[in-house]
Amino acid sequence: MVANGKEIDPVGRQICSPMPACRINLLVLPFQVIAVPIKQSMARKEIENEITLTMNGSPVSGRAGMTILEVARENGIDIPTLCHVSRLPPSGVCRLCVVEVAGSRTLVGACHTPITEGMMVATHSPKILAARKILVELLMASHPDSCLICDKANICELRNIAADLEIGLPRFRARKHYYPLEYENPNIIRDMSKCILCRRCVVACQDLKGERLFSVAYRGFESKVVSGCDQPVDKEACQDCDECITLCPSGALRRPRRPGEERAKKALFIKG
Amino acid sequence: MSQQAISNRHGEQDLIGRLKEAQAKFGHVSEEVMAELARSLDIPINDVYGVASFYSFLSTQPLGRNIIRICQSLPCYLKYGQTIMESVAQEIGIIPGETTADGKFSFQLTNCIGLCDRAPAMMINYDSHVDLTPKKIAQILGTYK
Ligand code: SF4
Ligand code: FES
Ligand code: FES
Repeated sequence: MVANGKEIDPVGRQICSPMPACRINLLVLPFQVIAVPIKQSMARKEIENEITLTMNGSPVSGRAGMTILEVARENGIDIPTLCHVSRLPPSGVCRLCVVEVAGSRTLVGACHTPITEGMMVATHSPKILAARKILVELLMASHPDSCLICDKANICELRNIAADLEIGLPRFRARKHYYPLEYENPNIIRDMSKCILCRRCVVACQDLKGERLFSVAYRGFESKVVSGCDQPVDKEACQDCDECITLCPSGALRRPRRPGEERAKKALFIKG
Repeated sequence: MSQQAISNRHGEQDLIGRLKEAQAKFGHVSEEVMAELARSLDIPINDVYGVASFYSFLSTQPLGRNIIRICQSLPCYLKYGQTIMESVAQEIGIIPGETTADGKFSFQLTNCIGLCDRAPAMMINYDSHVDLTPKKIAQILGTYK
């Protein structure tokens, strides 16, 4: 996927380009000198909107309305996310992005909490790392053990995050779902046993396509993303747009492979 | 089933109110009704189904004439709610989630119904039955037709 001439992955993160950003900066240095005064005058206009806060002990600043996650990413702090998509409104369901905010009784979700003046945020304290680890461990514990033969294998965000957080074998024994594969629609194969209920497909279908083919139904452990009255995805309405499939962070949604077709996406390198 | 089937006296988007009305009228919320509601409220049918399947007092499947709901939450469990479930199951010959072949009873488990002070408790339709013992079950079920 290409946006503004940069290659980005479906989540909006920039994929390492052949020329790293630092080297580009060196190349355009002479122009930057000219650009500085303009930038400063713009900054002065925005100064009323500017909010300063402390993140992991160092002062950072953002504009009013920005979320903790956006400020963190701007400052090169990596907060893992599963349900968040930068171009879609936050749904705040996966809780993977939790951070500690001084004065808050509970951990707060970085993807949907706006910054406030003087906020003190810790993004990688031991408490948070433990919380994140348990979250992903629980997700993995109830995830089918089919990574080796899964279509998403190397480009799976869930697996990527599990490897990053060094989850290993989950300590918990959780119930798993076994739903039949839904392959009636020629444009999409849904394997709801692998779904982690991030609701990206629900939001994407509505906000990116104006269709509203998915909703979450049932309750508690039985919760499931359904189409219609828990029926196969409507062949007329689902028109091969692939938005939900590219956004799905697990192997739950995939495109039926047509004969002779190559996998379009480059595999991400995953450690572990 | 048409617009008159589910009245329009509810607020613009009162989906739950309409679903409750359909449930009261037909005993369950059928796919037809859901499609009708989706059309009249201009929302996708999956949203209607999502709401209808979320609430345990709304059913998307046809149910029996009488619905037995036995509480499965902790206080009732500690007062041997399990034995009540077993004796009901024995009495009518089905397990939770099923409906008897004659359509007389549907058997369901529910979470706390707010009668913990007199646990174990169950509801049949909208009547509550408290301080249950396995011995009382046959007599209570006998009062329902
Ligand atoms: S199908 Fe994929 S995108 Fe949709 S909720 Fe499940 S994991 Fe998320
Ligand atoms: S990314 Fe913030 S809750 Fe999922
Ligand atoms: S626990 Fe059974 S009624 Fe509350």
